[in-house]
Amino acid sequence: MKEIVFAGSGGQGVLTCGLIVSDIAASKGMKVTWVPSYGSAMRGGTANCTVKYGPEQIYNPSQEAPDLLLAMNDPSLNKFLPIVAPGGTVVISDTVEIPADVRQDVTIVRVPCFDLATQLNNPRGANIIMTGAITKLMGDFSAEEAIAAMNRMFEKKGKAKFAESNSKAFAAGFAAV
Amino acid sequence: MATKERKVPALVDKPMDFCPGCGHGVVSRLIMEALEELDQLDNIIFPIGVGCSSNLGAGLECDRLHCCHGRAGAVATGMKRVNPDVLVVSYQGDGDAYNIGIAETFNAAYRNEDITVIVINNTNFGMTGGQMSLTTMEGQKTSTSVHGRDCSITGYPIRFPEMVAREFPGAAYAARGTVTSPAQINKLKQYIKNALEAQMNHEGYSIVEVLSPCPVNWGMTPIKAMERIEKELIPYYPIGEFKKRGENQK
Amino acid sequence: MAEMMKGNEAIAEAAIRAGVRFYAGYPITPSSEIMEYLSWRLDEVGGSFVQAESELAGINMVIGASACGVRALTASSGPGISLKQEGISTLCDEGLAAVVITQVRYGNGLGTLLSAQCDYNRETRGGGQGDYRCIVLCPSSIQEFVDLMRPAYELAEKYRTVVVMMGEGTLGQMMEPVELPDFVEPERHPWALNGHYTYKKIGIFERDSRKEAVELVEKYNTIKANEQRWFDEGVEDADYVFVAYGVPGRATLGAIRELRAQGEKVGLIRPITVWPFPEKAFAKINPNVKGVITVEENATGQLVDDAALYIKKTHKDRNIPAYALTYVFNTPPIHSIKEDYFKVKNGEIKEVY
Repeated sequence: MKEIVFAGSGGQGVLTCGLIVSDIAASKGMKVTWVPSYGSAMRGGTANCTVKYGPEQIYNPSQEAPDLLLAMNDPSLNKFLPIVAPGGTVVISDTVEIPADVRQDVTIVRVPCFDLATQLNNPRGANIIMTGAITKLMGDFSAEEAIAAMNRMFEKKGKAKFAESNSKAFAAGFAAV
Repeated sequence: MATKERKVPALVDKPMDFCPGCGHGVVSRLIMEALEELDQLDNIIFPIGVGCSSNLGAGLECDRLHCCHGRAGAVATGMKRVNPDVLVVSYQGDGDAYNIGIAETFNAAYRNEDITVIVINNTNFGMTGGQMSLTTMEGQKTSTSVHGRDCSITGYPIRFPEMVAREFPGAAYAARGTVTSPAQINKLKQYIKNALEAQMNHEGYSIVEVLSPCPVNWGMTPIKAMERIEKELIPYYPIGEFKKRGENQK
Repeated sequence: MAEMMKGNEAIAEAAIRAGVRFYAGYPITPSSEIMEYLSWRLDEVGGSFVQAESELAGINMVIGASACGVRALTASSGPGISLKQEGISTLCDEGLAAVVITQVRYGNGLGTLLSAQCDYNRETRGGGQGDYRCIVLCPSSIQEFVDLMRPAYELAEKYRTVVVMMGEGTLGQMMEPVELPDFVEPERHPWALNGHYTYKKIGIFERDSRKEAVELVEKYNTIKANEQRWFDEGVEDADYVFVAYGVPGRATLGAIRELRAQGEKVGLIRPITVWPFPEKAFAKINPNVKGVITVEENATGQLVDDAALYIKKTHKDRNIPAYALTYVFNTPPIHSIKEDYFKVKNGEIKEVY
C-alpha cells in the first residue's frame, strides 16, 4: 500500500492531483482511498488530501506516514514534512524554500512546475505537471495508462476539451524527474 | 310537527371533547361540511396540532396525524409533496401555529406549499390552562399575564393572514372569519370552501384564521365570550378576505 | 469497474436506488453533499426534495412523507441531529419507518467539523424523550454504507421504526471505488395515509400506553434476537479483543492483523449494528480472554460502556477488564493503536471497568 499527501494553497489544484492519481489506481483495479481536508481544516493556507492505493484492502484511509509528499508552498512543506515516512520522497515546486535544517532521511525533488507551465503556455497546468512527476516517482503506472485514466476522469466531468493540454502537461512532468 | 334530524357530517364519528361554548366544534363541523359539499370526504389528510385542536383527531373518521407541537406546517409539507392530489389541511391553534410553530407556519407559506391551514385563534393557550400567546390582546389577563398583557415587553398581537396576503405574492388565499352569529358562520364556511377549492385547483397556499371563543379560560359565559369577539377582537383582527383566489401574482 | 465516488454522493445515489422518493433537510458540514445531490436527483426519478427551514422542520417533513408510506430520508450531523430528536421520538411513537443519516463531527454545542464518534451514546440510547431505541448501523467504508442503504429501509419498514445510519465526517468526505446497487421500485405501504382512510386508526386519546409499551418491548427483543450485525476476526483464541466500529473499526482490523503477524493473540469485533449491540459476537470470545479494548474517536469513552456490559453478560463467571483507547477525533494511525495495545498489555493504561 502506498500513501501520498498532496498539499498546497487553495486554488493550486492539489485536491485534483490526488483525484487523478486515485483514478489512475482505480482504473487498474486497485483499492484506493482519497481523503480531503475540509471545512475549517482547509483555512490557514493549506489544502491537502491523502491518497492510499494498492492491491490489498486499505485499513486506515487517513493520513499516517506518506511515502511521498507533494508540497506546492512553504506552509505545506513545514506542516507535513515531519510525517513523511523515513526514506520517503518530497516533491516541491519552484517557489518552495528548503530549510537549512531539513530532514536528511528523505529525498527532496524539485520540479519547477510553474516555470514548465509557463513554457507550455498552460499557466493553470502546474498541478497536472506535478501529477506526471509523482506518477513517475511512484513507479506504479506507465505514462500511457496514467494519461488515459486522467483524460477519462476529466471527460466524465465534462472537461474533455482539456485532454490535449492536460496530456502535454502530464508528459512534461513525467519527463522532468 | 315532525322534527328534522340534524345531519352530522360523515367524517365526524363521535362527539368531541371541547368545552361548553368553545368554537372548535363549530369550525370542525364547517370543515367537514365543506369537504362533503366539495365531494372530498374520501380525499383528505389532517395533520393536527397540539392543544385543544388535538381533540379533532379524536372525533374524526379519516386520515390524520397528530403532529409535534407547532410542526404541522412541516408535516403537511411532507404529506402534500408525496400526495399532490390529496387535500392536506392542517388544523392548529394560535399557540401551535404562531408561538412554537411560527417557523414552520411561516416557511410553509413562504414556500407556497399547496396546503390549507386552519388556525383557531382564541387568544390564549387553551389546553394548558389559558396562558398568553402571540394573539393575546393588549391588557388581556391570562395565567402568564396576570396583570394584563404588557405589549411593551411581550410584543403585540400577531396578524398572520394579513402578513401572508401582504408578503407572499404566490399565496392563493388568506382570510379570517368567526363563529359569533349564523351570518358569520355562513361567511366562515364560504372562506373555508374557498381555501379548499384553491388547494383542489393547485393555486397555492391557503389559510383561514378563525376568531373563536374560549369561555372557560376567558372566565366568561359563552354569550359574553361571543360579545368579546365582536366588541374587542374584531376591531383588531378584522373579518374578511385579505387575499382572494385569483389575486396571486406568481 | 468500480468508480471513484465521494462518500456523500455515493450514499445519496444509493438512497435513490433503495427507493427513496422524499428528502427534507438543512445544510451542515460534513453531510451537505447528500442533500445537494438529492436536490436535483430526486426530481429525475419523480421524487420530491425540500430544503427545510431547520433540521426540526426537516424531520417533521420526513414524518409527513413517511406517514404517507414513501421512503423518506434526512441527513445531518451533530447539532442538526440534536434538533431532529423530537421527530425521531415521534416517528418511533407513531410506528413510522424512516432512515436518518448522521455524519458525525466532533464536539459539544456547535462543536467542530472534525470526523468523530462522539454521538454514540445519543444514537444508541434513543436521543429524544421517551422509551425507545433506533436501529443504528455503522458502516466502515463507502461501499458498506451504500450496500446498507436498502437493508436500512427494509429494517425500518419491517419493524416500523427509525434506522440511524451513523457514519462520520471522513465517510462523507472521502472517495473510494464504489459499485452501486440496483434500483428498487418504490411501493407505498398498506398502512400509509392516502386520503382514503383505508388503514383505520384510533384516536390519540384512546391509546393504551401500557399495552403499547409491552408490544414495543417485544418488538425490541425481536430486533435484539434477529438483527445483530458485525464483523469479527480472531476472537476465539484471543488474549485481547478489540471493539471498534466505523473507520476506526477498519483501522483496527489493520492493527490486529499486524499484531497477529508479530505473534500477539488479538482479535476484533467490529459492530455493524451498535443497537442492537452484537452480543452474539461477544459470546464467541475466548473464555480465557484477558481484556476487551475499545478504539474510539471521542474523549470520554462511550463504546466501552457497551463492551463492558456485553463481556460481563457473555462471560458471567469472570470479571474481564474493559479498556478504552480514546483518540478524540480523526482516525487513529495504525501504529498508535498498536503502541497503545502494548501499553494496555504492560499495565500502563488502566481498565475503565
